Amino acid sequence: MLKILSGQKRILLSTFLPLLLATSAFAQQKFTLNGYIKDAANGEALIGATVYITEIQGGTTTNVYGFYSITLPPGDYTLDYRFVGYESQTKRLSLNSNMREDMELRSDSKQLEEIVITDEADDANISSSEMSTNKLDIQTIKKLPAFLGEVDVLKSIQLLPGVSTVGEGAAGFNVRGGNVGQNLVLLDEAPVYNSSHLLGFFSVFNPDAVKDTKLYKGAIPAQFGGRLASLLDVRMKEGNSKRFSASGGIGTVFSRLAVEAPIVKDKSSFILAGRRSYIDVLARPFLDDDASLNFYDLTLKTNYDLNENNRLYLSGYLGRDNFDFDANQGINWGSQTATLRWNHLFNDRLFSNFSAVYSNYDYELAFGDDALDRFSWESHVQNYILKSDLTYFINNANEVNFGAQFIYYKFRPAEALGISNGDAVDISIEEKHNPESAVYLGNKQEVNSQLSLEYGLRFSTFHYFGPGTIYTYDEAPAGERREPASSEVFDSGELVKSFNNLEPRFSFKYQLNTVSAIKGSYNRMVQYIHLISNTTASNPLDVWVPSSNNLDPQLGDQFTLGYFRNFKDNTYEASAEVYYRATQNQVEYIDGADLLLNEFLEGDLLSGDGRAYGLEMYLKKNKGRFNGWVSYTLGRTELQVAGINRGDWYPTRFDQTHNLKLVGFYDLSERVSLSANFTYTTGTPATFPTSGFVVQGILVPHNNDDQRNNVRLPDFHRFDLSLRYDMRRVRRGKERKNKDYLTISLYNVYARRNAFSIYFSQSDERNVINQPWTGAATRLSVIGSIIPAISYNFQF
Amino acid sequence: MKIKIKILLLLSACLWMACEDEIDLNLDEGAPLLVVDAWVNDKPEDQVILLWFTQSYFASGDAPRVTGASVTISDNEGTVYTFTERNDGEYVWSPTAETPSFGKINNSFTLNVETNGDLYQASSRMNRVPLVDSVTFTFEEETVFLPDSYIGEFWAKDIEGPGDAYWIRAYKNGELLNLPSDINIAFDAGFSEGDFDGVTFLAPIREGINPQDEDEDGDNLSPYAIGDSVYVEIHSITPEAFDYLNEVSIQTDRPGGFGELFADPLANVSTNVEHVNGENSVVGFFNVAAVNGNGKRLEQ
Repeated sequence: MLKILSGQKRILLSTFLPLLLATSAFAQQKFTLNGYIKDAANGEALIGATVYITEIQGGTTTNVYGFYSITLPPGDYTLDYRFVGYESQTKRLSLNSNMREDMELRSDSKQLEEIVITDEADDANISSSEMSTNKLDIQTIKKLPAFLGEVDVLKSIQLLPGVSTVGEGAAGFNVRGGNVGQNLVLLDEAPVYNSSHLLGFFSVFNPDAVKDTKLYKGAIPAQFGGRLASLLDVRMKEGNSKRFSASGGIGTVFSRLAVEAPIVKDKSSFILAGRRSYIDVLARPFLDDDASLNFYDLTLKTNYDLNENNRLYLSGYLGRDNFDFDANQGINWGSQTATLRWNHLFNDRLFSNFSAVYSNYDYELAFGDDALDRFSWESHVQNYILKSDLTYFINNANEVNFGAQFIYYKFRPAEALGISNGDAVDISIEEKHNPESAVYLGNKQEVNSQLSLEYGLRFSTFHYFGPGTIYTYDEAPAGERREPASSEVFDSGELVKSFNNLEPRFSFKYQLNTVSAIKGSYNRMVQYIHLISNTTASNPLDVWVPSSNNLDPQLGDQFTLGYFRNFKDNTYEASAEVYYRATQNQVEYIDGADLLLNEFLEGDLLSGDGRAYGLEMYLKKNKGRFNGWVSYTLGRTELQVAGINRGDWYPTRFDQTHNLKLVGFYDLSERVSLSANFTYTTGTPATFPTSGFVVQGILVPHNNDDQRNNVRLPDFHRFDLSLRYDMRRVRRGKERKNKDYLTISLYNVYARRNAFSIYFSQSDERNVINQPWTGAATRLSVIGSIIPAISYNFQF
Repeated sequence: MKIKIKILLLLSACLWMACEDEIDLNLDEGAPLLVVDAWVNDKPEDQVILLWFTQSYFASGDAPRVTGASVTISDNEGTVYTFTERNDGEYVWSPTAETPSFGKINNSFTLNVETNGDLYQASSRMNRVPLVDSVTFTFEEETVFLPDSYIGEFWAKDIEGPGDAYWIRAYKNGELLNLPSDINIAFDAGFSEGDFDGVTFLAPIREGINPQDEDEDGDNLSPYAIGDSVYVEIHSITPEAFDYLNEVSIQTDRPGGFGELFADPLANVSTNVEHVNGENSVVGFFNVAAVNGNGKRLEQ
């Protein structure tokens, strides 16, 4: 493998080396200015802050660590440090050597309340080459009306264009027609395999610890890979490096507390945030004494500035859902992640980050209340990741990114034991070991003031190693189970199968004028691990499986083209994007597939192609007392799999033709603000029978054309409201240290019973064989009434 | 491992009172297809095969019958069992003094149905069946899910050697429990092939003879009360019949409520009946079972 890698590296280097040489030749008579931009109040790095240089009418922005670097000819310059919601700082300097300029910006408290979905430069919509991405800062997320008043990062994502879901209460989200398992959800670079509490109602991210989220739906830089549909990059706060502060709240579901403080002032700080649900407290009277029914999460992050050129970060997450009926029986699941990062400046222009990441998702079940009849089952997916990401700021026209990534997966589908009347049977399934690695090289190039390009190449490999038993399967008619044909035992370290792929990425921006731009992109994504889920919504028992001799990696090619325009001095920004994505090796399932505890799972899987295309329109108002956004998506997502729907294309369960979201915020007064959102989507597809018949007294639905998703559920629409009431800041003439507010929310204001699904069942009466039957259709609404909630939040 | 999912669903249903409404729907109507309901066994009684047509899922009338068909089952020893039409669509073979029961264990069988010149065929095999050793009742105090209850349980061991499949059918006070939620199937002693061989049936299968009935208020009832009797039969089925019943269970035993979030997509169940001299679609299944049973009355 190393040999392949080094060979590929050579190819990459020889492609890009001339570029590096050419650009560095220019760079010799120039100097570099760099530094970190932070929040003056708490020392948090500001992501995407702008350094604008009047003399060149341009500048740069900070990366995810708040670092910027710009290389200029010697001379006098006026620097403008800007960040929306913060007071700008202007600095004049003479550049005659390489210089370090760290900057702290003070938040403009009055303006802060107006921040909406962007904390970038006012005109980033036009000036940046990025497309198909959406940022949501935590202030915006906190303002949105939330289900049961619980601020939720993942539910907020669903208000963005191109994002859909199979229905209310379902875990995860669907991006541009991708399934839930095709999103890479990163929490401080650690992949999160199940991002839901309570089967999907709440996400695992504690809003008190989240700083920033960014969703990449397309034009994904070469740095990222591993999933077909999207990347959700969730960054945690670093913790206040200036003073001790605490925040928290009491809601209807969770109570939360977060503390942050400097360890060494301006050098090191930490944040520790925790949440726990109350449900068990309320349900106590109905539960066995040994029963537990709760979910919680704990998030920790700390950082240390070793010196000007080195910073260390350590972050971790621990979350769990517990549902135990009594001392011996129950189910629980959860994730743990840990990330150690080292930011290192090799020189003024070469910024690097090295990370070591651990991520684990596991679940446990146990049933049977006596020793003679027991069943226990544990399953986990574990990752160890090493990665390096380097940015070489060649000059202000070129920024080269390169790096490497190595992931070691350990899949343990089942460690299971069944005891029946005293006889114990081990039904465990072997562990699987898979390294995935990638190297990448990319460049962001400003060709001229109008045209900028971002291009790169990612080379990824995936290996399936022993020890283990590898099966081959017989051919079977399309859509039917393939029985195991042969098995072979592989020794530890013996190669079973390997894959490698080149993933080109390209995007461009052509700025038509100061207020409008055209952008386009192409990228190829490869996904080597597969989420096995055949239920409408994904559930905590879903397993991940690696590509193997029977299961090919998923491939996706996406093309996007968009028009971006700002209005009224950047008060409004608008975009329209079209996308087309073709995917291969999509996983589907035979009817009656046995997906859990099945050693021969691969025999129950089908493979097919997918296509998704659509138009996304987005208009948002960034400033003023009234602000918000409108998002509309016209889309189609289909699969074609031999053995399903007679081999014809069929829409996926989350295909929505129209998807409209309106979000508005209005400041009634200094202390009272209102927010509202309205969602309208076409009903998701469902399969309805064309007839029925009785076998042995049981009424079975039947579709004569063997169709899948042949009809639509009724359209979905819902209106939510929330009101935030800030408590008095001044008491008895003195300003209070404590800043607190109440949030009152109304979810599903007009109490619509939106259909999550319509299902068919016979009446509860037992059919007498040979007698007429009665069948019925039932509409399930996950939420069938208005849900009011109140929460109290504080900060000091 | 369907049972585990069900427990998860049950649990989520407790947490969330999702709201359900029975609705009226206009469904596309499919053309009528032949339905073959042919589950034959070696109990010394009349064996009945029903032939009828599919009709609207919501139909309240009787399904149209297939009359005048010729129905036979032949085995690998050349024996031919002729089924004669007793009522419309109801074809019966009756035991005689020479042949007191249908078929022989380990024989294979072919079903032939001829109607209006169309010939349909299916094959099956009568597999071995274990003995039902005993049936017991246990009293369990009230839980979140059930009131004070008597839980029935049968005791039997899977026959050694993998590949046996069974359908466990229970009669409460002589009435067959045949709701979708009553479907109780086993592959060896467990839920899927090869996992549990030659051991006592797993607890959820042993206890799968308890009707999950509710009273008018929707509260769960104790499966059995003093004076009730239960009779448990193990029917040997083919692996194909196991898959078939598993699919029937997925499609018909709806979790309801919040559990519907984790339902499998609606899909047609398979069939082992083929149209030999044409390409007509046909639904239904043919299985020949050996049966063993045992029962008990719950007394004070």
